[in-house]
Amino acid sequence: MTTYDVVIVGAGVAGNLMALELGKAGKKVLILEAGLGVPDNRAGYMDNFYLSLAKTPESPYPPLPGNGAGGKPLFPLPDPATEAAPRATVLMIGKKPDQSYLVQDTHGSVSNPQGTAVRGLPFASTYERVAGGTGWHWLGTSLRLVPHDLTMQSTYHQFTDWPVAYDELSQLYGEAEAAIGVSASVAQQAPLESAIGLTYPPGYAYPMGPIPTSMVDQAVSTGIGTMMIAPDAPAHPEQYPVFVTPTPAGRNSEPYQDRRVCAGNTNCIPICPIQAKWDPTVTLGAALDTGNVTILNQAVAVDVKVDAQNHVVGIDYLSWTKGEGGKIQSKPGTAIGTTYVLAAHAIENAKLLLMSNGKQGVANRSDQVGRNLMDHVLYLSWALSDKPLFGYRGPLSTAGIESLRDGAFRSFRAAFRMEIGNEGWNFAIGDPYTSATDFINGLNFSGQNAGNQRLGGLALVQKLNEIYTRQFRIACLFDQAPQPDNRITLDPTLTDGLGLPRPKIAYGLDDYTLQGFKAARTVCSAIYREMGATEFTTDQAKSVADHVPGFFAFDGFNYQLYGAGHIMGTHRMGTDPDTSVVDGNQRSHDCENLWIVGSGSFPTVGTANPTLTIAALAIKSARDILSKL
Amino acid sequence: MPSTDLDDFVAMSAALTGFTADFLRPALDPLNLSQAYFDQATARTAGQPATLQTLLTAYRAVQGQAPQAIADALLETASASPSSNAMLAQSIVLLWYFGAWYAPLVPGAPQPTTAPGAVQVVSSNAYTHGLVWNVMQAHPMGFSELTFGYWSTPPGPMSQFGVNEPTGGDR
Repeated sequence: MTTYDVVIVGAGVAGNLMALELGKAGKKVLILEAGLGVPDNRAGYMDNFYLSLAKTPESPYPPLPGNGAGGKPLFPLPDPATEAAPRATVLMIGKKPDQSYLVQDTHGSVSNPQGTAVRGLPFASTYERVAGGTGWHWLGTSLRLVPHDLTMQSTYHQFTDWPVAYDELSQLYGEAEAAIGVSASVAQQAPLESAIGLTYPPGYAYPMGPIPTSMVDQAVSTGIGTMMIAPDAPAHPEQYPVFVTPTPAGRNSEPYQDRRVCAGNTNCIPICPIQAKWDPTVTLGAALDTGNVTILNQAVAVDVKVDAQNHVVGIDYLSWTKGEGGKIQSKPGTAIGTTYVLAAHAIENAKLLLMSNGKQGVANRSDQVGRNLMDHVLYLSWALSDKPLFGYRGPLSTAGIESLRDGAFRSFRAAFRMEIGNEGWNFAIGDPYTSATDFINGLNFSGQNAGNQRLGGLALVQKLNEIYTRQFRIACLFDQAPQPDNRITLDPTLTDGLGLPRPKIAYGLDDYTLQGFKAARTVCSAIYREMGATEFTTDQAKSVADHVPGFFAFDGFNYQLYGAGHIMGTHRMGTDPDTSVVDGNQRSHDCENLWIVGSGSFPTVGTANPTLTIAALAIKSARDILSKL
Repeated sequence: MPSTDLDDFVAMSAALTGFTADFLRPALDPLNLSQAYFDQATARTAGQPATLQTLLTAYRAVQGQAPQAIADALLETASASPSSNAMLAQSIVLLWYFGAWYAPLVPGAPQPTTAPGAVQVVSSNAYTHGLVWNVMQAHPMGFSELTFGYWSTPPGPMSQFGVNEPTGGDR
């Protein structure tokens, strides 16, 4: 049996970047990937997407999430108990376990009469289990955290600090931006220094010049200029500036890493057709090319084995295939290395640790494994501009409002960033489908066809053109509070197709986070008013908010809960082994030859989309391993 | 030469969708979506209260009229209770707009409680040639033949997107 220097579980953002760093340094690396390998080209995934009835983030990826490809009906979804490596999908949210991999006790009614917290919400973010991982359908947003994201306790007396210095992270960001290929301009980000403390090392330049902003971005930017707003008035009258900045993106503005420039397919999620957006398969290819990295696909890690000294001595896995009639066959194996890395993303990392060692758990002296499950929970608002701004063109998002990511308000409510979308009301109401069926079939699910008009011919074209070209949306992504009782545990009875326990979720939002929703709603509406746009954000029916999983009422508004696909916090980093799972290098406090990496290590969410920080920390962890091998 | 059912289907579709017949069925047409849609509509409506043939019969009765008048007649836009034929006509519009088959609504049935969804996307080419993307002067999500940075300037006029505009010019 081969003994590797490093065994990595998971071929996603973190695992592949680490494999490349380690392979370049001459270390022998084995990657265990739970799902299917990287296909020879993405044509098959593209067809899956084109033919899907519900073009959700996971629609291109195997196993197909029941999206109706091949003429099959959308529902019922495939039973996760029949899949070797099932994962959470958008269509599963709110479904019972026979159609949902995550076992979620969502009660039905979630509203708390005191209005200070909601419990029993379904976790609304999803992930992939294929080689390349969830990074197949990341948006490309490559924002850096700001300094106060790392010091929430010492600056705002909330939660906990990160055991990472910003100066070091700032250097690592530069390396991560080179590894991914980020397009942006330091000069364009400069207004964020005074607003939220974002700085760059002297002389720093992004690997590529910026992605041009869209017509939508330009309309919002022109419409609001630099607008001053007091999001928490009247209790807190402080005013903050609101202005648009172009978003650094892991998409090519120039040829980079032998990949093409972005052609604006407006499809970063679910899949970039031309790989102008970096995804982890790019780095996996480079890692394999070092000659030192091997990947074993369709190999699900099932047990992190430790000796009496808490030293990891191997990882047991099941190699699986699917035969006639979908019958799963598996055979066991053990991967042996000097050091081990769990890079299976937040939920699978925690699940693996909890089910190891005869379900007594590994690396869990702190009892924090699986706890503090966080999402970049999202408030979505949408509006019609007073003039055409031509959405549905360009990358899905090219600019945002970052100026509210930091401020004194963080002592009492969640900060948020605001992402301006270039896909009309696609995210908001499933357009172009919903508006078109409204005006063709005489319905009004979009809120734009109050007269239930039925149109055809040029009248239909003109009506729909007038609507689609003026649609836009803003998504607010919150710095959700870490809560120990938001957690994953192992379901005691339900299993997947390999007989492994399924993740059971307990989840909700606390008052700190909910107050952020309130502020975000205030700011979004103010932006639309300032622009002269007409807001269409749906205040859901009270009966829906109170009884349908995924909806909730707070402060007189009935929200739909959205996830951002940013799953964080299940193996938090910290300096104290009693209250955290890994240290600032993502090394287990308990097992000296085990690193547990990815956004599960984030002790707080922060205000940036997590991928760039996952990448920066992965590079840091690889260096840490190299210093010890 | 007398027109074929397919010719009439394309001419009817042009009126219903607001696009030109030449755009729906170009002279050089390797994709041949019009045939695929004709076949799809024929198969899906067999034995139904309204079939593609009953709709084509209705079309032939009004085919001499202006395109908008044809669309309004077939879709019965002035009627509070459209017939099965009109609801099939709606599905024909959706077929061209999305490259997908939507089961026709049923006259007199309660309104759906969620937005109607397609039953099947006809093919990948059907998706990437849906007309709805032209209506919005854009491109199918996931299928851009445009070049870097196009999104920072306005799109061309509607006439560049195959729309049968009476003036043929910009709006």
